[in-house]
Amino acid sequence: MSGSELPKLARVAHAGHCNRCLSALPSSHIQIDASRLAIGFYCFGTLDLLGSIYEKTKEIEREGWREWLWHQQTSGIHGTGFKPSSYMTQDRPYGTDPEEYSEYDTPHLIMTYTAILSLAILRDDFEQLDRNGIVRFLQACQREDGSFTSFPNGGESDLRQVYCAFAISSMLDDWSGVDVDRAVSFIQQCSSHEGGYGQQPTGEALGGTTYCALASLYLAPSVSDLHAPNPHVTTDERRRTIRWLLQNQASSGGFSGRTNKDADACYCFWCGASLHILGVGDLVDRTAFLSYLASCQFKFGGIGKAPEDRPDPYHTYLSLAALALFPLEDADPSWKLPRLNALWNTTEDTADWIRQHVPLYTVKAQSPVRK
Amino acid sequence: MHGVKRVQYSQAALEAKKQRDHDKLKAYLALSDDVIARKKSHDMSNEAFELTTRLLRMNPEFYTVWNYRRDMFIESLFPQRSPSEVNELLSDDLSLTFELLKQHPKVYGIWNHRRWCLEHIPDGPSPDDVNGYRNSTWNKELFVVEKMLDADARNFHAWNYRRYILATMPFPPPPKSELAYTTRKIEANFSNFSAWHQRSKVLTTLWETGELDRVKSIEEEFELVRNAMYTDPDDQSVWIYHAWLIGNGNYAARLQFEITSIQELLDEQPDSKWCMESLVRYKRLLIEKHAENLGDKKALVDSCLELLAKLRDIDPPRRRRYDEIAEGIRSGNEMQ
Repeated sequence: MSGSELPKLARVAHAGHCNRCLSALPSSHIQIDASRLAIGFYCFGTLDLLGSIYEKTKEIEREGWREWLWHQQTSGIHGTGFKPSSYMTQDRPYGTDPEEYSEYDTPHLIMTYTAILSLAILRDDFEQLDRNGIVRFLQACQREDGSFTSFPNGGESDLRQVYCAFAISSMLDDWSGVDVDRAVSFIQQCSSHEGGYGQQPTGEALGGTTYCALASLYLAPSVSDLHAPNPHVTTDERRRTIRWLLQNQASSGGFSGRTNKDADACYCFWCGASLHILGVGDLVDRTAFLSYLASCQFKFGGIGKAPEDRPDPYHTYLSLAALALFPLEDADPSWKLPRLNALWNTTEDTADWIRQHVPLYTVKAQSPVRK
Repeated sequence: MHGVKRVQYSQAALEAKKQRDHDKLKAYLALSDDVIARKKSHDMSNEAFELTTRLLRMNPEFYTVWNYRRDMFIESLFPQRSPSEVNELLSDDLSLTFELLKQHPKVYGIWNHRRWCLEHIPDGPSPDDVNGYRNSTWNKELFVVEKMLDADARNFHAWNYRRYILATMPFPPPPKSELAYTTRKIEANFSNFSAWHQRSKVLTTLWETGELDRVKSIEEEFELVRNAMYTDPDDQSVWIYHAWLIGNGNYAARLQFEITSIQELLDEQPDSKWCMESLVRYKRLLIEKHAENLGDKKALVDSCLELLAKLRDIDPPRRRRYDEIAEGIRSGNEMQ
């Protein structure tokens, strides 16, 4: 099938799906309450990729979201970060001074990453960002073995948190909160014999953690020339990883996240972006890729993990992000998406905004970009 | 989000569902507000404890409520209680988490809480038997994790947890018994890559401690993998495990032997992508690592190119990859 025979990208419907999710989610989604900031990010990210932030939302709504996001920034003995939502504490009235958090309500590392991206998508000026506090928070989350926990007082630790710590440091252009050598050493221990990286040193290679590992290794401050071999990835690891990633593309065009599992739209991003970062994006079968994601579109809007599955903001956003990395020449114009910064996982325009507003000193902010 | 299937509803059913949704949400939000308020006021009562149970059943991802529950154990429920009572409280929570895991097998908070319970089992039941409670509970964990793996043999949370149990329990079974476990899982289903993966970890340990002779063991593993290959040549897991056994390909005789064996399989199954892909891989290793000992290097190179041409046809998604490898072989360069 050629690119021109593919169905269109239902841009309006997908924007609608995410817009609705920004207002409310049904009771079947109660469990996502614990990660509301992440859901927000997937919705904002979708609208950003579709170029509909300004069309589909009103300034008063964006102002409300920015305010809500800043309301989640919280400070205390372990530094500053963003909470997943206000559900964990009694809501203090807007406009009052924030109290210091207790051991229950500490900020969350992954949510801090999604909060910064969300605010950038909403074009906030970041005047309220407590940069030093965030650096202290990162320090508090790093463990002896180099990994990071979600909270300063515990919680699970794996490559997702390492990636968030690296992405945040890179966006702040301030690495003083991270012991890079120890973190890199942890990442390398997660390298699997299959290729790819597992969650922990003994784990199976997973698509998501492979992305987190590679993005971290390419964000690391010692890596200045992105087109030269990365000092933290051996030739053998690179080869094995490319092979493993490519083998995960099924004949349907979709990617699976692990050896011998089914294709899932979100892995089109995790695995696809990994290949892009390694500089071998050209080896992906793009037509099949696009055709798979096209078939995951739900007729009332949104994209699900597989054809016929229910959609959600997570799969919608990641599918679009994947498509942004692998444009197809002869596809319908509806598939045209803006360039994506694969290392931060946001559009290049939003990445520019981050470079100009997030670091303390923006003159020297030159964040690496994997083209 | 993952694994929620679409269902069609009639108009009346939709209305009813909407109402149920609304009521459920209302109840959840009310309960959530109540628990958070109590947490803020440091309420450590039994009543608060029961409410956290109810809330966690509705939303086991609510990690802060797990934290609150653990604090209640430490601050108010454990003090003043005998070891046997504490042990019972923890057993109850182990049952609760097991029940929740059956419905939510991949929620980090539940697995975490389980670990915490195990790590807090008190000394007892008696001064002469301080490890009694611990031993019996930890021993049961392997059965628990086995139940989870029966339900989903690829659940990596469960596999990671299994590795944690084996590494932490007071009297772990010998590694050879874990090897036997992986054998059972693999024989039940060759596609269970997680089991092959676990096997590779266990064998590495057994080789390091010298409990198993590495050379002999690897021979046996090649036998095992050959059986699996012949039974199901299309299974990816088998080929990945085989590649692990080959390792860096420093042992030329083994490479040659395996190449011959795989070629025989390919003769029987001429369209087997994995056979072809592996042959190219191992022949390249021969070319790269054992060039001085090769009789006819050109024959090897030609054979690789021929295989890659066939692979292009039968495995179109990876066409570009095969072209790139062929280019590298032709120009004699080290691939990527």
